[in-house]
Amino acid sequence: MSKAIKTLELQAARSRRNVLRMVEASDHGHLGGAMSCLDIVTALYFHTMKVRPEDPKWADRDRFLLSAGHKCMVQYAVLAEKGFFDKSVLDTYGSLKTKIPGHPDMYKLPGVEANTGALGHGLSIASGMALALRADGKDSRVFVVMGDGELAEGSNWEAAAVAAHYGLDNLVVFVDFNGLQISGKVEEVMNFTPIAEHFAAFGWAVRDIDGNNMEEVVATLDSLPLEKGKPNLIVAHTVKSKGVSFAENKAAYHYWTPKADELAAAIAEVDASIAKLEKEVEEAAE
Amino acid sequence: MKGELKDPRKAFGKAVSDIAETDERIVILSADSGGSSGFKDFAKAHPERYFEFGIMEQGVTGVAAGMATTGKIPVFCAIAPFVTCRNYEMFRNDLGYMRQNVKIVGRNGGFTYSDLGATHHSLEDYAIMRMIPGVVVLAPQSPDEIRAASVAMMKHEGPVYMRIGNPPIPELWDGEREFEIGKGQLLRDGTDLTIISTGSTTVEALKAAEAMEAKGVSVMVIGMPTVCPIDEEIVLMAAKKTGRIMTVEEHYVHGGLGTLVAEVCAENYPVPMKMHGVPKEYATSGPYDELLHYYKLDAEGIEETALAFMGK
Repeated sequence: MSKAIKTLELQAARSRRNVLRMVEASDHGHLGGAMSCLDIVTALYFHTMKVRPEDPKWADRDRFLLSAGHKCMVQYAVLAEKGFFDKSVLDTYGSLKTKIPGHPDMYKLPGVEANTGALGHGLSIASGMALALRADGKDSRVFVVMGDGELAEGSNWEAAAVAAHYGLDNLVVFVDFNGLQISGKVEEVMNFTPIAEHFAAFGWAVRDIDGNNMEEVVATLDSLPLEKGKPNLIVAHTVKSKGVSFAENKAAYHYWTPKADELAAAIAEVDASIAKLEKEVEEAAE
Repeated sequence: MKGELKDPRKAFGKAVSDIAETDERIVILSADSGGSSGFKDFAKAHPERYFEFGIMEQGVTGVAAGMATTGKIPVFCAIAPFVTCRNYEMFRNDLGYMRQNVKIVGRNGGFTYSDLGATHHSLEDYAIMRMIPGVVVLAPQSPDEIRAASVAMMKHEGPVYMRIGNPPIPELWDGEREFEIGKGQLLRDGTDLTIISTGSTTVEALKAAEAMEAKGVSVMVIGMPTVCPIDEEIVLMAAKKTGRIMTVEEHYVHGGLGTLVAEVCAENYPVPMKMHGVPKEYATSGPYDELLHYYKLDAEGIEETALAFMGK
């Protein structure tokens, strides 16, 4: 595996530690979804997207929208790692007047593009951005991470039609398919599988990938657009709470209030992964 | 009332199209609704700035927000209940909370889609729109005022909801008018009672005031084409001068103009009030003028209601 991929894995591990730092500050948080899509968001910010942390409103930037805004800790963790704001802000998660509330607020934190969190809004907003950027002749792209449970919101399918109708190949959407929502398995709560085929029927170019495999995520991002003239839908098969082994694949950790020694165990595990990856990066060939 | 009756939708469409000729940031969004909103010619002249989406008001509201984040000024006009009730959360979050410079215009407002029934009436739009922080709510009262309000709306930075009707309406004034958001208008002075009206009913309120004058009741009439933010100064001037206020609107009695005026008076200078509008029910259907008469929102009904309020 290349040094570049290992380095991205290390960035992801550091962002996972940032997520735990926020949980430590507030004693709660939407852990499961933040961790499942974290490798994707890391690859976006550290490998693919054109952004300037020192000039967050740069007109030619790529955009990132976290449609499933409750996973906000992933966005804060990666934006902090990328240098959009000081990491000490992470310690204010959950406090009064924090810049990093329980759903992202574009007027509180640089780098946030939309006030997401009410599910089923992100894809419409992102489609509007992609449509306007293309109309202005810009080559900026719009990246979105959606939840899998979120697919039941009907407004998504209005936006899915818009993106396909206008052939927005500058729009790239990841569905974070960790398969679990609050009430249980997504397929049992309201079944939208096979997800890729639903979007393909609307006219999207689609691909299924392992969303926690950095090499595969990067290869997919490098191959965009999947098909010229079509919006891109990537079903990212992921593991809920990825990186915190005792919480992995458990719906109960959708929203986490750590019990007794859970947080210390999680921190120890992520710290160990960081140490291991630092060593591997050092040893890896270019 | 001046001259021939004019179609409010055409007045609006023409006004915005004219402004868009010189402002390339303006884009027109349609939910299968642009042609009926007065944008047929614009669509032909500027297809690159006219976007059709089909019947999806929630989606269009979100798309409008996204476009606005890049500096565009989207204008989205469709049937009033579908751009206020249907997409309310998108309006609240994507336009209000995100403070996006999008103009939403509800046409065929009130019960101007009279015989199509309650699904197509819009009698709560002022009430629900005024609750979204940062949203300006306009209800211009004549074709020329629609034109002037459109200019003001496009100049204003931030989300605006404007209600217009459908049936042809008369001019209220001679010549072009300036329109200032947040300003009411003293249309007629008087000493016994103030009638404050907005949108379509103002022309009827003026007729009622004339008729009452002949019966010895002196009525001040205030036109309030900005429902929110309400012009507190003119409300309090009227309260102090006439001591009684009656509000008139083609809207539910509660939540709209009447409520806004009552809030101003209650906190600053309480006076007896009569809030006149449509009772909280699913309005019946029928010809528009007959509906107005049925709900006492024509000149005759306004006069009858006002005289009863005066104990006459």
